Amino acid sequence: MEFLKTLLPMLFSGLKLTIVIAVSGIRIGIVIGSICGYALQGKNKLTKVIAEVYIWIIRATPLMVQALYGYFVIPKVLEIDLSSVTVGIMVIALNSGAFISEIIKGALLGVDVGQKEAGKSLGLTRLQVMVQIVIPPAFRSALPALFNQFIISVKDTALLSIIAVNETTHMAQNYAALSFKAIPTYTVLALFYLVILSVLIVVQRQIERKMR
Amino acid sequence: MLRIHHLSKKFNELEVLKDINVNITEGEVVCIIGPSGSGKSTFLRCINRMEKPSSGSISYYGENLIDHAYDIRKFREEVGMVFQRFNLFPLKTALENIMMAPVLTGRLTKNEARKKAKELLEKVGLSEKADDYPDTLSGGQQQRIAIARALAMDPRVLLFDEPTSALDPELVGDVLEIMKTLAKEGMTMIIVTHEMGFARDVADRIIFMADGYIVEEGRPGEIFTQPREERTQNFLARILTA
Repeated sequence: MEFLKTLLPMLFSGLKLTIVIAVSGIRIGIVIGSICGYALQGKNKLTKVIAEVYIWIIRATPLMVQALYGYFVIPKVLEIDLSSVTVGIMVIALNSGAFISEIIKGALLGVDVGQKEAGKSLGLTRLQVMVQIVIPPAFRSALPALFNQFIISVKDTALLSIIAVNETTHMAQNYAALSFKAIPTYTVLALFYLVILSVLIVVQRQIERKMR
Repeated sequence: MLRIHHLSKKFNELEVLKDINVNITEGEVVCIIGPSGSGKSTFLRCINRMEKPSSGSISYYGENLIDHAYDIRKFREEVGMVFQRFNLFPLKTALENIMMAPVLTGRLTKNEARKKAKELLEKVGLSEKADDYPDTLSGGQQQRIAIARALAMDPRVLLFDEPTSALDPELVGDVLEIMKTLAKEGMTMIIVTHEMGFARDVADRIIFMADGYIVEEGRPGEIFTQPREERTQNFLARILTA
């Protein structure tokens, strides 16, 4: 059990980065997803096609390949410096954004047309109808699915170990490589994720129960 | 105040309104009756452009609403609508539902709107429900709140789209009672309804529609006792014996 003294602090420091990347990524993802989700259900053909192409590309390529591409190709082509963490956040953002687009689209379409009509019939502007009448219930109904996407994104961060982001999984790999203790290291890692994600799953249940 | 001229509406190829001509004068209560699918609701919804008419004109104090330059919001601020399914905002309390539009359109401050909303709640007999959410209210109560919400904008005309059709029979009376009061106060109202008794008592004029046309119109006494058209006779015979 002596090895835990070294491994656990490493995992916790990795967890910090895991959370930073997942939270930042999903935040940006919600912004992207809200814009694209709105475009998907809107009347403008051009923005709709742009949103569809984006979602198609993200869904039709593996996240790990996106990470490799963002880390090794994009900086070269654009001649810019990107840290692995920045790329990690971007990949999680773009990835979750694509799935959130579909969530938002469904939530917006799920708001009863009668609500919008009531708003319009009272002389509200289109923006007021959107902001005051459509978005609040849509966001509410989307919340469980958004939190579910957050859980997925937390797990997806493990794939960022491929571009040497020092998140939880990468820290475990480092330790295993140096200590040659693969079996205990990865067992602890799996249990570590199990505990963290169980907490998130419990939170999600609570949200779902409240929404009902 | 409202002149509807050669109004028609097509959904793709299907023509649901054909050459509708109606004038509404201030203070008039007009009930539109007719079999389902006759275009009554579509006609009503064309008036405040919830549906876009395919051709014809609707003029409101001389201004053509169908004109693209016309800002339909101005009209909607002055013309309230009450829906069959109430369409209250579910995340807002009864009071907030009523306050919302006057505040957002800049007509009243929040405090003025709150005061007004309370008065209106009293008028519809639901003062004690001010802080309740729509899903805790009965259909009849929701519809009364919806009427109060429309009244909060001080409308010059109220459009009712089958306001009692979604209600349990024992709740219909309360809603009709409020509508009667409004009629007595001189509110201009256009009402699509299946409540023949109400139409007979309250309407100044009955419009009978079938197959997208106005088949016949006249005073309730005429329409209900001696309809000229066979279509009207058949419809009334079926409704009134049912």
